[in-house]
Amino acid sequence: MELFQYDFMQRALIAGLITAVACPLIGIFVVVRRQAMIGDGLGHIAFAGVMGGYVLGVYPTAVAALVTMLGAAAIEFVRHRHMRQADTALAIFFYSGIALAVIFSSMAKVPGNGMIGVLFGSILTVTGADIWLIAGSGVLVLGVMHRYFDRLLLMAFDEDVAHVSGINTGLTGTIFSMMAALVVVVGMRVVGILLVSSLMVIPVAAAQLLRRGFRATLALAVAFSVISVLGGLVLSFNLDIAPGGTIVVTAVAIYLIMLVCADLNVNFTLTRKKSADTIVKSGHKNSY
Amino acid sequence: MFDIAIKNVSFAYGDNKVLSDLSLTVAAGDFVAIVGPNGAGKSTILKLIAGLVRPADGVVQVGGKVVRDACYSCEIGYVPQHYANNTAGFPATVEEIVALGLTSSGSKRVKREGARHIVKHMLDLVGLEGLNHRLVGELSGGQQQRVMVARALAANPGLLLLDEPTSGVDYETGTKLYGLLGEINRNLGITIVAVSHDIDKVTRFANKVACINNGLCFYGDSTEFRHNHAGAPHFFPYQKV
Ligand SMILES: Nc1ncnc2c1ncn2[C@@H]1O[C@H](COP(=O)(O)OP(=O)(O)OP(=O)(O)O)[C@@H](O)[C@H]1O
Ligand SMILES: [Mg+2]
Repeated sequence: MELFQYDFMQRALIAGLITAVACPLIGIFVVVRRQAMIGDGLGHIAFAGVMGGYVLGVYPTAVAALVTMLGAAAIEFVRHRHMRQADTALAIFFYSGIALAVIFSSMAKVPGNGMIGVLFGSILTVTGADIWLIAGSGVLVLGVMHRYFDRLLLMAFDEDVAHVSGINTGLTGTIFSMMAALVVVVGMRVVGILLVSSLMVIPVAAAQLLRRGFRATLALAVAFSVISVLGGLVLSFNLDIAPGGTIVVTAVAIYLIMLVCADLNVNFTLTRKKSADTIVKSGHKNSY
Repeated sequence: MFDIAIKNVSFAYGDNKVLSDLSLTVAAGDFVAIVGPNGAGKSTILKLIAGLVRPADGVVQVGGKVVRDACYSCEIGYVPQHYANNTAGFPATVEEIVALGLTSSGSKRVKREGARHIVKHMLDLVGLEGLNHRLVGELSGGQQQRVMVARALAANPGLLLLDEPTSGVDYETGTKLYGLLGEINRNLGITIVAVSHDIDKVTRFANKVACINNGLCFYGDSTEFRHNHAGAPHFFPYQKV
């Protein structure tokens, strides 16, 4: 792998792999809670954060991380308080993000391709400081998700049941949203805010086609996501195409392959089902 | 094992008054069937007991403690109505769902080996042995209901609240499920409150029946209810005036 001799490619690889693991980890909960658009929404807020960073002359990625996490907490608060208008409230949050981004971008001196980098990612220009921020975020997200995994799974399955089981659903939901925000900002450096949500959703959707359990689906999604990032980087380097695009296109290709596999698999699954049903039937007799 | 005391409770969703001045006590170890027409407030009563909604007036006590917030009541097993929205396409195996019963506030986590043992035991109990690795969304309605009961039981609850656990379940499976709940109630001493429209089936296994129709209009032994009710299982003769 001679292409990874270059410093910038090594940094791209590290940033890419951390993103590849973190995105499906957040994404699987986003998908099963049917909030696939939340990643895009948080991206809008991150956009405002980055541009705000340029206005203030402070490290934009860090400002984006802070602003997006606060935005995520605020969204969760509104979602909890005003269940009925939650959808509209979310939309208003997101539009405000874009509007502020536009305002900030005309106030600040944004470097040459800064705007393009935010929108479409600029993994090849990841700096040493970025790596620290990305790695730190990655460790935090992994740790928090490990700790809250079971609680989030129960909440995703049924929020009322989770609540009755003694889980503080408001707090847990807020913590999850803040982790999602952090991952959006990390992913923004890699594939850009327009595509970050796709890395949360597509590998999970591909894994779901194989119809496995929750942990197995997550493991598959992470594998698909890692393959997408590695494949995308190699393609990007060799074909001289922007990596954000090649990474996501690779993910889509994997999705399509799994779609075909799932179709071919139909027979296999049906026979598996049948044998399982026979087991249940014999089980019934014993238990009643 | 918990007793329940609902004292002079009123509840409304906005302007929609659902319950007014309802009082109902359930002794520890009872199996109570709540029956009544659509919209009578049966699900609301379960939610009040679970602490998911709060009474506008009056108090709800479970095990002698006032229910303030669902968070406190880790020992209540709750099987909601219409959970099937969630199971369709949900990527989780039967084993994973049942193991969620062991997920509480995190304070009393069970080690993996122990968890597997408990899950297996619960699946045996509801007659789903061997289905551990099947996706829950790919089971039949009756099997899914039993998975949900197994999940609730895994938490080792003192009180089990079930909201229409046999809606969309065939006659035989429904009867078996209530039979199973009856056994759980007797053998494990768990207090059970089950809402159901399968009046004939549930009243066969429950020892008490509460009929809700504009308030509590009948509350007594199931044998008495069945006697009054003979031949007209789908008609609500009781109407509070
Ligand atoms: N979340 C809600 N918001 C507003 N009104 C509600 C809500 N849930 C229930 N209601 C209303 O409260 C009343 C009682 O509802 P509840 O769900 O307790 O009835 P139920 O006896 O369980 O009926 P069913 O047999 O149809 O399940 C109904 O008039 C219903 O329209
Ligand atoms: Mg109901």
